[in-house]
Amino acid sequence: MTEITRDLISDVEQFYFREARMLDNREFQQWLRLVTTDVEYRVPVRYIPQPDPKKKETEAFLGVEQELSQGLEPDFRKENFFILSLRAMRAFKLNSWTDNPPARTRRFISNVEVLPTDQEGCYEAYSNTMIYYSRHQKDNHTFTAQRKDLLRLEKGELKIAKREVIIDWNIITGPSLSIFY
Amino acid sequence: MPMDLPLSQLVSDDGSHVHRKIFTDPALYELEKQHIFSKTWIYMGHESQIPKVGDFITSFIAETPVIVSRAGDKEIYVTINSCSHRGVPVCRADQGNTRRFICPYHNWTFNNKGDLVSIPQERKVCNKPEKAELGLKRVPRVETYRGLIYACMDENVEPLTDYLGGMAWYLDCFFDRFDGGIEVIGSPHKWTINCNWKLPVENHLGDIGHGPYLHGSILQGTPQVQELEDTGLNVVPKPGHGLSVRLMPEGTPDEMCMFGMDGVAGMDPEVNQYLRESHKKVTERLGEVRSRLKPLCYSVFPNLSFLWPNMTLRTSHPRGPGQIEYWSWFVIEKNAPEHIKEKLKIHYTMMFGPGGLLEGEDAEAWSQQFSGSNIDYADDRTYYYGLGLGEEESHPEIPGKVGSCFNEHYAREFYLQWRQRLEQGIQETSKLEIK
Ligand code: FES
Ligand SMILES: [Fe+2]
Repeated sequence: MTEITRDLISDVEQFYFREARMLDNREFQQWLRLVTTDVEYRVPVRYIPQPDPKKKETEAFLGVEQELSQGLEPDFRKENFFILSLRAMRAFKLNSWTDNPPARTRRFISNVEVLPTDQEGCYEAYSNTMIYYSRHQKDNHTFTAQRKDLLRLEKGELKIAKREVIIDWNIITGPSLSIFY
Repeated sequence: MPMDLPLSQLVSDDGSHVHRKIFTDPALYELEKQHIFSKTWIYMGHESQIPKVGDFITSFIAETPVIVSRAGDKEIYVTINSCSHRGVPVCRADQGNTRRFICPYHNWTFNNKGDLVSIPQERKVCNKPEKAELGLKRVPRVETYRGLIYACMDENVEPLTDYLGGMAWYLDCFFDRFDGGIEVIGSPHKWTINCNWKLPVENHLGDIGHGPYLHGSILQGTPQVQELEDTGLNVVPKPGHGLSVRLMPEGTPDEMCMFGMDGVAGMDPEVNQYLRESHKKVTERLGEVRSRLKPLCYSVFPNLSFLWPNMTLRTSHPRGPGQIEYWSWFVIEKNAPEHIKEKLKIHYTMMFGPGGLLEGEDAEAWSQQFSGSNIDYADDRTYYYGLGLGEEESHPEIPGKVGSCFNEHYAREFYLQWRQRLEQGIQETSKLEIK
């Protein structure tokens, strides 16, 4: 088990801030270098289930997990490196009508927690993200989500090997969930 | 009329000119709810979502929330989700299984047929309320077609199969294609789009021509686009309903006719193998002509759509003239192997749903259409729906009126159907008022 040092926590925070800056500056091609080629990127659906009377009086009664899509249920997104690259590259085409003109975004990353895993050079990390998203003249939205990452050291560089994005909406009231979280 | 214009000026007699106000006018929207959504069959969900007694899902008829549940007699009941006491919604979940819906306010309790089963305060008063009269309001008509659950507020509506008419032959292509039927997996994706509810429907009726343009960043130059131009047809099986198909010529090898699953998924060797296997039974189940038919998109009047290549059913629930709540489900052959379901599910979400690459472009176009319509000083400039006007005709092999893939007759017929239903509704209400 890898030890979690203050240095490591600081490295992870800096990594996230750099990532956010890249995405806000629309450097999506560079961003692709921050993820591993076997990356798993998932944004589950968050629906409202009927409360389970068997779980009442326990914390499981309110468990977030039961609100999320699982197994064969479609997520909002479940993507590999290929699909992420398709998204990243498309933005730079003249006829990519959702990115042209591009949205103005500002990401705020907080609540960073780094946890050990039993794999060498792999860490689990939680963080919250708040994304201010502005399209066209005044189509403005704020997304919030929890991110649960698996970070892996590759040649001394941190990379995202897995990311799960837990959105805080039931009905999505923004125009699209196509962005990178 | 809410506006100074009669309906005949909102949609021209041949359907080729449509006034921009039909997408934006609040008074017309009220008429749509009154004369269209409460008079036609509205899609609720699929039977596979509520297989067991007590299962329920929620849905909408226009803006009115309903509960769709499977009661103890195995029948499906659709009831309005509003307590008979003070109107509080009695169901607060998207889906689940329960025997009772308990209203939060005073705990009046209803069963899954909507009958009122208990009033906690009843014992404390002398005059006993007549519980039999205080159930949730039931949507009077519920029918299913190949597992598609439909409901209608109008008791006297024609049977669902008559309503679908020739559309059924095309719906069967997917919904009756497989021995074990199809299933809808998971709860729907739901998101709001600031557009008029008719635009997504119009798009799926047959606006396949926008593909290489709006979606040019993904589709331009792909073999699918060429195939579409060569073999694509827009079909109106019954005015109001419509679809786009590719009809492959006789003698086309099987692998070119398979299923109609396009793009990335079809290139995956495992999916390709599955499509080959599944194609073998098609002729037997659906006949030779439909084994060469590769549908693309469907809409059923007024607000259900189906997108074949990415296997998604969707409804456009209006929220005023300028907003919809779009609901989208993943559908698949029930007996498909798990790894195929997993792959095709990803093929759906990559392109469609609120995070989908293509869907984002469609939603962008639809909401921009609303912005562009909701303006003044251009009322003399109606929208042109006349592409291919008069070129549609009956076809030797497939039912309905058939035009080329750029013929906009699907939309002309849709808006004429819309106009006719409003005219009829207005006429009927004025008769009632005179009485
Ligand atoms: S409002 Fe439902 S019980 Fe009173
Ligand atoms: Fe489209």
